[in-house]
This record gives sequence, C-alpha cells and structure tokens, in this order.
Amino acid sequence: MTHNESQASLAAPATSNGTGSKASFTVKAGLAQMLKGGVIMDVTDASQARIAEEAGACAVMALERVPADIRAEGGVARMSDPGMIKGIQEAVTIPVMAKARIGHFVECQILEALGVDYIDESEVLTPADDAYHVEKSNFEVPFVCGCRNLPEALRRIAEGAAMIRTKGEAGTGDVVEAVKHMRQVNHDIARAKVALQEGGDLAIRALAREFECDAALLKQTAEMGRLPVVNFAAGGVATPADAALMMQLGCDGVFVGSGIFKSGDAAKRAKAIVRATTHFRDANVLAECSEGLGEAMVGISVNSMRPEQKMSGRGW
Amino acid sequence: MALTVGVLALQGGFAEHLSCLRKAAAHLEVKFNMVEVRTPEQLATCHALVIPGGESTTLSLLATQSGLLGPLRDFVKVKRKPTWGTCAGLIMLSEEASSAKRGGQELIGGLDVRVHRNHFGRQKESFVTDLNLAFLAESLTDAMRAPPFPCVFIRAPVVDKLLADNVEETSPENGADFQSLPSPATNNQTLAQGSKIEVLGILLGRHASNKAAAAAETARSVSTKGDGDIVALRQGNVFGTSFHPELTEDIRIHLWWLEQVVHASMK
Repeated sequence: MTHNESQASLAAPATSNGTGSKASFTVKAGLAQMLKGGVIMDVTDASQARIAEEAGACAVMALERVPADIRAEGGVARMSDPGMIKGIQEAVTIPVMAKARIGHFVECQILEALGVDYIDESEVLTPADDAYHVEKSNFEVPFVCGCRNLPEALRRIAEGAAMIRTKGEAGTGDVVEAVKHMRQVNHDIARAKVALQEGGDLAIRALAREFECDAALLKQTAEMGRLPVVNFAAGGVATPADAALMMQLGCDGVFVGSGIFKSGDAAKRAKAIVRATTHFRDANVLAECSEGLGEAMVGISVNSMRPEQKMSGRGW
Repeated sequence: MALTVGVLALQGGFAEHLSCLRKAAAHLEVKFNMVEVRTPEQLATCHALVIPGGESTTLSLLATQSGLLGPLRDFVKVKRKPTWGTCAGLIMLSEEASSAKRGGQELIGGLDVRVHRNHFGRQKESFVTDLNLAFLAESLTDAMRAPPFPCVFIRAPVVDKLLADNVEETSPENGADFQSLPSPATNNQTLAQGSKIEVLGILLGRHASNKAAAAAETARSVSTKGDGDIVALRQGNVFGTSFHPELTEDIRIHLWWLEQVVHASMK
C-alpha cells in the first residue's frame, strides 16, 4: 500500500444514520487531516494570534506562557484563562487549540464549553493525574496528544485521541528529541509491519503485549504502514530547516511553540517556517526562507539537562 | 494521451484527494496522471485541478508566496480548465468570502458567489450527514437507486449569496425543495465565467442555523427562509463542494468529476 492510499483511509469510513453524527471520529480526525502540511503556532495573546494568522499558520495553540517561559519560571502550569482564549478566538478565523493538563478532564470540559477546536492534553503543563490520561472518546471536541514512540501513540488513540504529535522537548529550541521520537515511531511501525508479514495476527498480539497497546490498532498501523491518525512534529522546532527536517522524516505537519515568539523577528520567522513546511523537499526554497531571519531563540541543549528537567517524561 | 490531473499540495487534505482520484480513475478507460502541484511549472502540466480542504487563509498566503496566485487565476478563469474545490478549495474558488480574516484574504475566484466561512461554527458543530445528490445520476445507470452520499462537513463554508442572477435549477436535494432556490435569471449580469450557476446540492435546514442567510438583506441572498444551504454547485468549468468526499470511502463524486474532465478535454 502506498503512502497516499494509507493517508486516505486515516479516518474510518464516513457513515451516517441520517440524523448527522456530530462527534464521529471521522469529523474529529478529519479536522487534523485538513491541518496537514501546515504549521500550528503557540500564541499567548490576540496580537500574537493575528501575527500567526497573517503568517499562514493553519491553527494556533492558545496558552498563557510559551514552554520556554514555563521552563524558566517554574511552578505549576495550568490551563489558560478562558478570557485569554476567548480573546484569541475573536481575533482569528483559523482553528484555535488549547492545552489541558494530563488527566485533568475538568479543564477539558471547560475548554470544550469555550468551543476550542482541538484540545492538547499536554505534558508541557503540570500533570494532574499520575495514573490516568483523559478518557477522550466521550468529548465532542477532538484531542491531540504527545508521544515518544508507537506504543504511547496507540495508547492515546485507544483513549480517543484523533491526532498525535511527537513530544520532543518543548521550550528548548533543540530539535533532537523530536527527531528521536519520530525515528522511534517509524522504527516501531517497521517492526509492526514485519511482525504482521511474518507472523500474522499471532505475532501482532505478541508485539502488542510487549508494546502494552491495543492489538487491533497495532494491526491497523502495520497494514497502513503509518499511524492511523495524523502525526505532527512538536517540541524544539525553531527554524525553517527544523520544520523541513521533521517533514522529511515523515511528519504530517509541525507545531512551533517557543521558537517563533522567542525569536528576533517573529512575523518573518513564522512565514519562513510555513513556507518551509510546504516546500520541505525543495532545498532552494529552504535556503531562501532560511536567510536573514534574525536571532533564533537562544535555546537550551537537551544534552545539558537533567532528567527531571525534561517534560517529555511526563505521561506514559 | 494521458490526462494530467493536479491536486494543489500547498497545505491540507491533498493526499486524500490523490488517493480517491487514483481509485476513481481505475474505473475509466482514459489514462490519468495524478500529480501534486506546488509550483507554477507543475500547474502548467495539468489539464484539471483539485483544490483541497485546508485553511483558506494558509492556502491563500502560500499560493501568493509560491507565485501561484496569478497562474491559478489564469488556469481557472482564462484557460477555463476544469477545477474542483472542496471546503477551503470552494472558498478559494469563490469571488467573495464573508467572515474572512481581518484585512481580507486573496481568492482565486471563478464562481460568482459569496461563501460564508465557518458557517456552522467551530469544530464541535462539525458533522456527517447523508445527502441525495441527483447530479451523480449522470454517471449511474439507475439514478433512482443511487444511495445518498455521506457528506462530511468540517468547519465548513456554505454559499450564502449568488452574485449573478443567472442560475439554473438543476438538481436540488431529492428534487424537492425548489421553493428555497433563488429564482432563475430575469436579467443577465456580466459573469466572471459567462456560464450559469448550477446548484447541485442543498443541505436542508436541520443543521443549518443559517443565521447569515436569514439576516441577509438582499432578495438575491439564498434561502432567506433559513431552510437550506447551497453545499455543491457548478459554474462552467468550476465545481465546488463545501463538504469532503475525500474523507469517505465513496468515490462517486471523484468519478463523476473525472468524467467531466474527460468531456471537457474532448471539446
């Protein structure tokens, strides 16, 4: 099966009982499919959201502090003030996403009531539950969740996530962890394909036991040769080249957090990253849009960090 | 000779369209070559084009950045090659858009209509519903037995105003609700395409809060009674749907459109 064919079957076939199934998985995963090839930007107020929209962002992520500041300031990071989210919703016409703490289903209920278009159950905020992620299937609003590998992605999808992103290491400007997580997902998918080809259902069940994930979803992944939902890169993307790197590794699109509004010329950098994400295989375009962007965010090398400083270890 | 069909691949659901087009093409005798279009050079190779769903503001900006806006307008409005837009693609192919981003957004145009972006509201108002699309009977032997089409509406736009009076009542849903359609032409205006607008699909009022249309001030606004929204239409070489056939397993609309492409290529 080619990459394109598997893309088309990302969502379950649309079915209808004639009354209109509003919250069907087709509709939830479908919005993510429409975001593909795009850049989703972290914004902390309406004016940043406007800059993002003008730069061609396909969606914005509303949050009170970008990950770099959460990192610097410490303390408990929570869902944003609804007033701030509403201000952003009024300022732009593109989808507005917002973050809830891992396991904090009441923050999710509040974000749903606000009408956000996607909820990111995010390790960037301080986890609220150390045993359970949010049961996402029952919400009408779709969810995106982070992962470091295929098993983690499939556990989130089993809970109802309609979109996946790499965790990377948010707020560092260091793309190494996002690359590691994407390569791990690709490696795991390759293993699943081999298992299915060589050992059929039995081998898939054995691998699902090792992966601690749902066997049916693992089989679907092996058959499609990719995650069964859209998969974006996130966590450390700071330059047009970073974005194109993640796209060439097989991501469907890119989240940019601190990388834009912690840099010298946010509007210019935002536009350049959008362009690089579309023309990710065209080195001439990439050279053009990498030029003269001013200061990139200073960043922190992930190698210099202690394990407890990393956000990607939150969740499981 | 093979016909080259492009899918604008700047952002959005282009891979899904390519997959559906390839499946549909397998049912036709004509050979097709399906390609992703990101540059004017790639567009120049195409006999027909699909503009997929995505974010219309993003598509507009990327088309401008990539030097594609002019060539796209030339493709659609001067060369008049078959072009189909879904959701954001429909917005791009409309002459006007309401609820556009602040400062407005560049459109390609081609359909003499105004679209209302995000008509139904935010994502939680997105839905799937079955519609009877009579135009699909053109490619089916037994039209009456054609099952309804599963229409996926995601933050979808609808056509809320016809900018030309030149409208043909071809095939509304079930052939039923003719009353809600705008009255046919009494005086011809200068049209972008010189062709009549054919309304090919109407979503009846159940989902449509249709506030924009209900509040519309002019007689030419669609369905002032608030009982139906135009969700599929054609004007000459330009076809638009506000829903996403590429998110279903049902390739009938892709097949129908490829047949239109074949017809156009034989002219």
